Amino acid sequence: MIVAHLANRSHAPPYAATATKSSWFIPLDARAKVVGVFTYVVACAVITRPELIATSLIASLAFVACSRVDHTAVGRAYLSALPFILFASFSVFLFSGTEKGIAMLGRASACLMPLLVLVVGTESFDLFAGLRRLRVPWVITTLLMLTHRYILLFTEELSRLKTAKEARGHRGGRSLLDRYGLRVVSSTGAAVLLRAWDRADRVYEGLKVRGFERDMTAWKSSRFGAREVLFCAVLVGVSAAILAAHL
Amino acid sequence: MHIPDGLMDPLVALVGFVEFLAVIAFAVAASGSRMREKDLPRVAVLSAGIFVAQMVNFPVGGGTTGHLIGGALLAIIAGPVIAIIGMTVVVLIQALMFGDGGLTAFGLNAVNMAIIAPLIGWGVYSLVKQLVGDASRAASSTAIAAGAWASVFVAAAACAAELSVSHAISGGAYGIAATVAIPAMLVYHAVIGIGEAVITAGIILYLQSASPEAFRPRPRDRTDRIALLTLARSRTFQAAIAVLTVFALALPFYFLYASEGADGLEQTMADAGTDEGEPLLSSPFSYGEDYFAALFAGLLGFTAVMLLALTVMAVTRSGRAETRLE
Repeated sequence: MIVAHLANRSHAPPYAATATKSSWFIPLDARAKVVGVFTYVVACAVITRPELIATSLIASLAFVACSRVDHTAVGRAYLSALPFILFASFSVFLFSGTEKGIAMLGRASACLMPLLVLVVGTESFDLFAGLRRLRVPWVITTLLMLTHRYILLFTEELSRLKTAKEARGHRGGRSLLDRYGLRVVSSTGAAVLLRAWDRADRVYEGLKVRGFERDMTAWKSSRFGAREVLFCAVLVGVSAAILAAHL
Repeated sequence: MHIPDGLMDPLVALVGFVEFLAVIAFAVAASGSRMREKDLPRVAVLSAGIFVAQMVNFPVGGGTTGHLIGGALLAIIAGPVIAIIGMTVVVLIQALMFGDGGLTAFGLNAVNMAIIAPLIGWGVYSLVKQLVGDASRAASSTAIAAGAWASVFVAAAACAAELSVSHAISGGAYGIAATVAIPAMLVYHAVIGIGEAVITAGIILYLQSASPEAFRPRPRDRTDRIALLTLARSRTFQAAIAVLTVFALALPFYFLYASEGADGLEQTMADAGTDEGEPLLSSPFSYGEDYFAALFAGLLGFTAVMLLALTVMAVTRSGRAETRLE
């Protein structure tokens, strides 16, 4: 299973593959990344005072800048989440005033940026192995790993089906009353699931041959060393300072 | 429907996380007896299929599109317990690999899309199927479509309620006002639900005709069935379910008719001109000023009292068993 994963590394993480190789954040143990980022995001999510939100926003921007992960990927992912954050901020602005609306925008952005650094700067297998080492049940981590691998396969499958549909003249339908459009969408979804279902048995045999034994086994050794302790200490310290100032 | 970080009141996010942990712990434990090693890749491929199916946008009209949630689809194909785990994996990948949905809001996102959507979808599907009692293609389509529509609508209603409660208990610092969140989420998702219903029915009927063996239910373990029957026949269990259902249904309406006037003791104190002194211990919670804050406080209190009562019952029962052994 691990061999299969490593063999398909070229497919693997959407952003990590393009992340800067010189980043100090990428080689950190995933446990430290998850614990540190989660603590910091929780602290940022709790604060309401404008000056603290501004401070946490600056701290998050500094974290993005100094992590040396792919900044373009972080920016692109942030822009895709921005419409929902803007909608929420606008609603708060309408009902609770300008200050709270801007605070919502700042707080959500301060929380989102470290999460995007985690996403961009961590390989999928490292992240799942880190979760397993943090005592997440094996059924969840093994499913996470297998599902992630199949998502990449089926995304390609879906793109092939889409090209085939367009070649036959399908242009996506006009509304929910367009029976033809919905029938094509249903049969495309069903075809993806059917191919997935057929593939599952073959994949299981393949996994058994490679020594699959239910739980995932990490190939690469990873340890919680001094760098990880320092990283966690800094993020926990900043989070504690933010919370102390808030209280 | 993915809630980002910083949008929800921390207390609401915490309650969502606790609810999610309780349900996923039960689902993981229950899946131990249902899921064989050979099923793992199948569940993973189905979850991946749901993830990819979420990427297929369908037209809603007026240039707007929606996409599948897939909770009902997975629950009808794989059963509710597996669907909870499969959808949790999908939501987790969206949060950790694509930054879609926040870390602090993960509990709430999972409650809406990985717990409420599959359970409502499966429940309504099973109920309608039994009510129709007909194995025809039309009856089957109706049951699937009803389950899929209800799953989207109820999950959206839960999300709107969470946003409104956050807004109410934080005094406007978090969440979205109920007057915006509830109509916007319900109207939009009532329409998206139609697309989900048509596509889910289309997919399942296509799969049933193309690969019927994939849908043959596994014979249920006899011990499981006996344990469930014994539990369902227990009078305590029936009474507990009845009381819980009545309270859960009545709670939102109860607060609509709650009076804002003083209670008997408060009125007597006011008549006597006695002021309330400083409390020795101040609680971090309050009943709040408006409907949603009171409802949220009611739900918290109801859950806390229920858990406490269950713990006391369990302790008393184990004490009695030990006395009998002596």
